[in-house]
Amino acid sequence: MAGGGGGSDGEPEFQIAPMIDVLLVLLIFFMSITTAQVLKVDKSITLPLAPDAIKKDTQRAEVIVNVRWDAATKKGSYVVDDKTYLETGELTKAIVAAKKVGETRVTKSANPTFRAVIRGDREATATYINRAMNAAAEAGISDISFSAVNKD
Amino acid sequence: MARRFDPSGESVHLGFQIAPMIDVVFVIMLFFMVMAGSVRVEKELNSQLPGNAETSGATDFVDEQIINITEAGEVQLNEEPMDTPTSRELTQLKATLTRLKKAGDEAKTPTLVTVVSEPNAKYSRTVDVLDALAVAGVTNVTFTVSDEEP
Repeated sequence: MAGGGGGSDGEPEFQIAPMIDVLLVLLIFFMSITTAQVLKVDKSITLPLAPDAIKKDTQRAEVIVNVRWDAATKKGSYVVDDKTYLETGELTKAIVAAKKVGETRVTKSANPTFRAVIRGDREATATYINRAMNAAAEAGISDISFSAVNKD
Repeated sequence: MARRFDPSGESVHLGFQIAPMIDVVFVIMLFFMVMAGSVRVEKELNSQLPGNAETSGATDFVDEQIINITEAGEVQLNEEPMDTPTSRELTQLKATLTRLKKAGDEAKTPTLVTVVSEPNAKYSRTVDVLDALAVAGVTNVTFTVSDEEP
């Protein structure tokens, strides 16, 4: 976009075109790092804080189990593929169905293991998270990841 | 920085104006720079459930470290209280786990940790402990809940 050039008398002068080039490059850089990392999670879930956890691998084949927490009733519920489950038996069936579909993608990924990602609300009790893990185990998934965020 | 358009000028040039464009680009860039600092990124803490893996050779049994999490938020490593129930950094636990991991690496034995949480303990406390394990570099982690009611 920018053309080169300088003063005819050899004096360095302010060039607007290279500055625009640099500005646009910086703009594209900051745009890419902010939009690529937008959090795509269930809005009703507040993920726990884990600043030292590793960055999520988005390339892997996975089933996401959202564990919602109702503070009023002090009860949790599970959401898989936008469907809500209250019982772990139904949850297991949903995970099995998601695994069947997801395993077709496994061969294309760098990491061949199909995994379950548990996105639990930070206020939820350990019981509900454990039940989600048990459901994943019954569906034949041993690779479990817990979701968290780097900052509040 | 921008030069304003003068309506009283006789020779009105309505071509492309570079100065307003730079102003706008600057503002947009500042916006994205500020946003980049406060962006929330999803992270993950990995765990492997114990299974029935087939082995051809003998299996070496390793020392298992057990971390208990009480309903009040107290963290115990092998029944030894670590940090305070309100401490989120868990510095004492992190230091102890790092030492255990280093000792395990030197002895060439894997460090296996089982996190046992009370049924009504908060999940966020479990994640605090898993985060401490991630800092110590312990990868063989299992999470379970003690005597859950049916």
